[in-house]
Amino acid sequence: MTRSVDRHQRGVAVVIGSGSVKCAAALGLVNALNRAGIAIDMLVGCSAGCLYATMIAAGRSTAEAAEMTRMLWTSEIAAQHDRRAVFRAMFPRTLGFDARFGLRSDRLILQRLRTAFGDMRIEDTKIPLHLTATDFATGNQAVFSSGPAIDAIRASIAVPFLFSPWPIGDRLYLDGYMSDPLPVGVAIKEGAGVIVAMGFESPYQESISTAGRFAFQVSAILSNNLLKSQYSFHGLAHHAEIISIIPQFNQRIKLFATEKIPYIIEEGERAAEAQMPYLDRLLSAQAAGTAA
Amino acid sequence: MEIELRSADGITIVGIRGNVDGLTADELMRTFSERVSEGSVRLVADCASLDYTSSAGLRSLLGAVKLARQHGGDLRLAAIQQQVLRVLDLSGFTSILKTYPDVQSAVGSFVEQA
Repeated sequence: MTRSVDRHQRGVAVVIGSGSVKCAAALGLVNALNRAGIAIDMLVGCSAGCLYATMIAAGRSTAEAAEMTRMLWTSEIAAQHDRRAVFRAMFPRTLGFDARFGLRSDRLILQRLRTAFGDMRIEDTKIPLHLTATDFATGNQAVFSSGPAIDAIRASIAVPFLFSPWPIGDRLYLDGYMSDPLPVGVAIKEGAGVIVAMGFESPYQESISTAGRFAFQVSAILSNNLLKSQYSFHGLAHHAEIISIIPQFNQRIKLFATEKIPYIIEEGERAAEAQMPYLDRLLSAQAAGTAA
Repeated sequence: MEIELRSADGITIVGIRGNVDGLTADELMRTFSERVSEGSVRLVADCASLDYTSSAGLRSLLGAVKLARQHGGDLRLAAIQQQVLRVLDLSGFTSILKTYPDVQSAVGSFVEQA
């Protein structure tokens, strides 16, 4: 089921790209929109951006969402090795190997997602919500606009090699960033006219001292190039107005640096504030029928 | 957005001040089109005072580049601020447009080419 955009409302679609804990900057964006009196009429999330898109769509306050992140997104979720997976990778003929491969156990993250979101369904959120993942068999982008939020989020954060692909129905899904790290195309397809897109480039490793860092570096190169190509296509090929908000972090933000959430929100708010006067004028002009 | 036109060494310099966005992009595109139709196809956009460009602004820049190149010229960007450069880079523009640290070197690139 797809919920349509109310075109009479003075609102925007917000797209939150992949970016681990940096996605908390979206909460700063929400603060800025609230202050400007601009409603969000659609949310799209990818990877960790799904967590924030879902919390915002469900009506959580910025403070609640920040607190939920501190509980959810700690380094413990990726700390527990899945030893069976390691052995299966080493001895595939003897022990068997299949597509549900991940080097870390997902037991804790699933437990925390259940605590945070319970049996929430995507189609029941206050604001229309779309979460993206990547079909493991085809590589295509998958968009979840209904169904259990936990399933879609778990699918969208299935970082290759780290967490196993997640089954929904008869298909397996990987992290949403593998098909589009900033899925503005989903908002365009769902009829959004004004899109505020908050995206993040994956950080490059300072040194390659482990195989894991090597894998992250390769992944960052691929995802950053994908981000640029997808973003440029959507920005130039369509007539929706896309306002990109790219927070600048002077501090290095590690994958699970939840202690930096206040700083991250602040930078997100700062980057968003700069665009509020234009957004205000654009929406007023649209209401008056004078926008380009 | 404010546009200021000047020329140096036969090159037309289009100074852009403020934001290029859904409310102003048409005006910028019109300015470039008029210059090209007048025969001024070697263009430099002075971006020193350009604060932001949205997707609508990017589309007008792309349209202007295509138009100038179709007529045997080019549009080159100069003095781009960091926040604008990030959007241009994210959108792949830095791979298809020539950029220069200042107007003088952008103008100089046309002169050297001539």
